[in-house]
Amino acid sequence: MTNTPRSTHWDIFCTVVDNYGDIGVTWRLAKQMVNEYQIPVNLWVDDLASFSHILPTLDPLKATQSFNGVNIIHWKEPLPVAFVAGAMLIEAFACELPEQVKAQLAYLHQNAPKSVPIWLNLEYLSAEDWVEGCHGLPSLQANGLKKYFYFPGFGAKTGGLICEQNLFAERDAWQADTANKLQLFTDLGLKDIQAQDTVISVFSYETEALPALCELWQQSAEKIHALIPKGRSLNSLTHLLPCDIAALVPGQQINHGNLTLHILPMTDQQGFDRLLWSCDFNIVRGEDSFLRAQWAAKPFIWHIYPQEDDYHLVKLEAFLKLYCDNLPPKIACYWSELNLAFNQAQQSAVSLHWQNLNPVNLPLLHHAKQWPINALNAADLATRLVQFVKNS
Amino acid sequence: MKTAHEIRPGNVIMLDGSPWVVQKTETTRSGRNAAIVKLKLKNLLLNSGTETTFKGEDKLEDIILDRLDCTYSYFADPMFVFMDAEYNQYDVEAENLGDAAAYIVDGMEETCQVTFYDGKAISVEMPTTIVREVTYTEPSARGDTSGKVMKPATITGGGTVSVADFVKVGDKIEIDTRTGEFKKRV
Repeated sequence: MTNTPRSTHWDIFCTVVDNYGDIGVTWRLAKQMVNEYQIPVNLWVDDLASFSHILPTLDPLKATQSFNGVNIIHWKEPLPVAFVAGAMLIEAFACELPEQVKAQLAYLHQNAPKSVPIWLNLEYLSAEDWVEGCHGLPSLQANGLKKYFYFPGFGAKTGGLICEQNLFAERDAWQADTANKLQLFTDLGLKDIQAQDTVISVFSYETEALPALCELWQQSAEKIHALIPKGRSLNSLTHLLPCDIAALVPGQQINHGNLTLHILPMTDQQGFDRLLWSCDFNIVRGEDSFLRAQWAAKPFIWHIYPQEDDYHLVKLEAFLKLYCDNLPPKIACYWSELNLAFNQAQQSAVSLHWQNLNPVNLPLLHHAKQWPINALNAADLATRLVQFVKNS
Repeated sequence: MKTAHEIRPGNVIMLDGSPWVVQKTETTRSGRNAAIVKLKLKNLLLNSGTETTFKGEDKLEDIILDRLDCTYSYFADPMFVFMDAEYNQYDVEAENLGDAAAYIVDGMEETCQVTFYDGKAISVEMPTTIVREVTYTEPSARGDTSGKVMKPATITGGGTVSVADFVKVGDKIEIDTRTGEFKKRV
């Protein structure tokens, strides 16, 4: 092995923990690095079947394949292709790298130090203050290698937020013409949605807050459409369904008073973005859809991933505080209380705060439009990541 | 080997062939219950410092150095002076105590462990739990008795601890020195 400069490609390793979150983030990042920075990317994924939910053309049986310029490799033991170190090695969300990869890093460190890629652990997004103090710090390994902790975040001293350069322009163009959303609903097989109807997307974990909201929506004076994919949200709404969840089909409608539940088909990431842009309100979960709901410039509830000792509420409150900074106090209070009640499955509180928020949602909508610009803090995650590489 | 989560101020760990004394630990929670541990370290060979981050479950090689049970004697800026059972005195740089310095008060009776490297006292490990008196804290704002609502409190010696809302000035509280967390009112 010679001490040659390293290759320019990036490797991203991702283990799929749930069906959409981790892979959703890494797939977006990989596409963005290829599209906007012309950096070749290998995306190593351990569960291609789950990945295919958001990339329907992916073949889960193929060891290597390419989409959107990203080289997708099935990460299994042994690796189907040899790992060749590039300029950057990302372990997403603290996943444990394969032994072969770690051994090669150690070998390069000893024998060809210039060929050692920048190694970083891409962490979860958090609005907590401590993120700025930990972002970019090295993790000194016993063998002398350095791994960096890269924390996405909202502050200028964090790793930023994933956002494609042309996303807001595309969103604005989409939202400028009502025909776009109506066409999208038709393309998704959703019927009987009129331009003036209230449309709410629901992509949450299980929670008793959902039945409470549905009960409220049934009694609404106006038509409300709740768009729900087959999955965890429906586990909380079985009493409203005519059959088992497994027997539901995309496009199916279930009417209860003025509420119509629509079973959503799975969509790719662009389709999901457009769905969020098209709804009046979005209920999202985890990390990827949480961020995309913010970029949709629409009001939302964030159902955060539950943690031990209710620690997720600390993370939720950190975000609520940040998001509400420029909101009129009354609206900030209603919106925060709604999110807290939803996350604590407080049925009566979630109904109360939904009703409180409803009459004042115009200022909230205005805030939702301004928020993405403030949240980006001048540079998105990919831009900051490229700068991080230059500075390392 | 210890996990990063188990590392405490005063421990000495081996990284890339060098011994590093841990001056400060800060544990936070990332997504999906994973712990992130931030360490402030000082290289005992080069006398240089750094900050570093680990996953909570990362394994770190802690070095077993000579240790002696000692009690705190007095402060002679910038050194804390400790004394063993045979009245030998050992000076430890205040900087090396990290967060532990906030728990050291005149007249304290707890036994600490002074760690030696190459014959020199380099750090002090506090007992896992200590009891200190609250010298200042705001009155309870919400009348909360669940212990979930927290507020800052100053303790004897000037350190600050986040305590349950029901804690009052004059209360004695138990603190976990590994995490700096309030455990209970004594």
